[in-house]
Amino acid sequence: MFQNFKTYLKTKTGLTDDEFHQLQGVLSSRTFEKGQFLLSKGEVCHHSFFVEQGLLRSYTIDDAGKEHIIQFASEDWFMSDRSSAYFDEPSELFIDAIEDTRVILINQEFYNLAAEISASYRHYNEKLLQNHIRHLQKRINLLLGATAETRYLDFIGLYPDLTLRVPQWMIASYLGITPESLSRVRKELARKNFKGD
Amino acid sequence: MKKKNIDRVVAPRPPHYVGDGFRVHNFIPGVNGLSMQRMDPFIMLDYNSKFYFPPSDRPRGVGVHPHRGFETVTIAYKGKVAHHDSSGNSGVIGEGDVQWMTAASGILHKEYHETEFSKKGGDFQMIQLWVNLPAKDKMSKPKYQGLTNAGINKFQLPDNGGVIEVIAGQYKDVKGTASTFTPVNLQNARLNKGGKAEFSFPANHNVALLVVEGSVKVNDEEIVPTDHFVLFKNEGEDFTIEASENAVVLILGGAPINEPIAAQGPFVMNSRAELIEAFEDYNLGKFGYLEG
Repeated sequence: MFQNFKTYLKTKTGLTDDEFHQLQGVLSSRTFEKGQFLLSKGEVCHHSFFVEQGLLRSYTIDDAGKEHIIQFASEDWFMSDRSSAYFDEPSELFIDAIEDTRVILINQEFYNLAAEISASYRHYNEKLLQNHIRHLQKRINLLLGATAETRYLDFIGLYPDLTLRVPQWMIASYLGITPESLSRVRKELARKNFKGD
Repeated sequence: MKKKNIDRVVAPRPPHYVGDGFRVHNFIPGVNGLSMQRMDPFIMLDYNSKFYFPPSDRPRGVGVHPHRGFETVTIAYKGKVAHHDSSGNSGVIGEGDVQWMTAASGILHKEYHETEFSKKGGDFQMIQLWVNLPAKDKMSKPKYQGLTNAGINKFQLPDNGGVIEVIAGQYKDVKGTASTFTPVNLQNARLNKGGKAEFSFPANHNVALLVVEGSVKVNDEEIVPTDHFVLFKNEGEDFTIEASENAVVLILGGAPINEPIAAQGPFVMNSRAELIEAFEDYNLGKFGYLEG
């Protein structure tokens, strides 16, 4: 039931079978159909979601009713509203499933227990948090100053297979550009890189 | 020569939609026991069983998507499909026609119900088969073989039994119309009631059939109804089909390529690294560009 998550923890954090066995009791798994919400604005986020299979997105809706995609999470990614969970505050985010998705629900008890029994897990989790901050800084910087092409190139580096799994308008929303601009960027890249007849 | 026995008869699974224009039952690789490895070189078979699509002003279909590393073979039984690709090719696949597209190093294309068919609506029935390419040919130049029904070589069965359309491979003295990279047999048996055809393939070839219309008796023992798929054992060479009523049966057989398979989405390569390269190349526009 937790096979991918177990493999992930063993490879990334060095958690042993015994340690995982101790933690297993506080984990649960849930399936969401495409379009179903895992979190809505105004709710407090009590979990981190590890994607076993499928695809999630987190997004906000602005005052004009427009969606802005913050993050995608496919297999082996985590998704959550960290600040809502940590500060016990209502979330600004919506999280929904773009494909039928099976997630592992990870609660605070898991984090506490894992940190208590495994030093290597503690170390890894710290690194994950720092990496998340690095990613957010980069993303803010790209959104403020980078061209649409640079943002797109960064996106395909981070999410190589998502261009085939999500509609263009969602990628455009993540990049903060219009679908028309995204289409121009892709056309221009093809002009530069296509070596066919 | 020894009889080739049935390994299993597979009923169609519940259909799902590919895009909004293809309502398909997947057989390869989704059905247990019909994995890419078992069916090698046939790595995917989607069957749109006969289904009525009501009139629509906006043609239904599948938008722009890439392929790399294999060939797609579209066999039309009812209805018409129009296709466009990133090299500027386009065409219509009508009833009885076959499109054999070698995606190889990479192509972007889209497939829709042909406009006039779409406006009128009607019965739609198609097969899409993916044939794997050996490693040495995976990055060869993309190409098309558009086979109209009239152009497909045919063998007339005796006693008004019907006709075998030899799309690829060989039936008796009739050679297949399409060229293939590895030994592949692909044949439509259009049988009149009581018509009988015998087939012979090497024992190690992976061989199957799909009953598209009517029903047939296989090896004088097993009656196989419409929309059912038969997998043969890799023992023996010869089998027969006899039409219990007028029938159309797709016969497929191929020599296994026996190379590692790394598949994700529309790419089928030999290693994980080649798959990553395929995604990168696609994202960077190396497959070209096609307006959605």
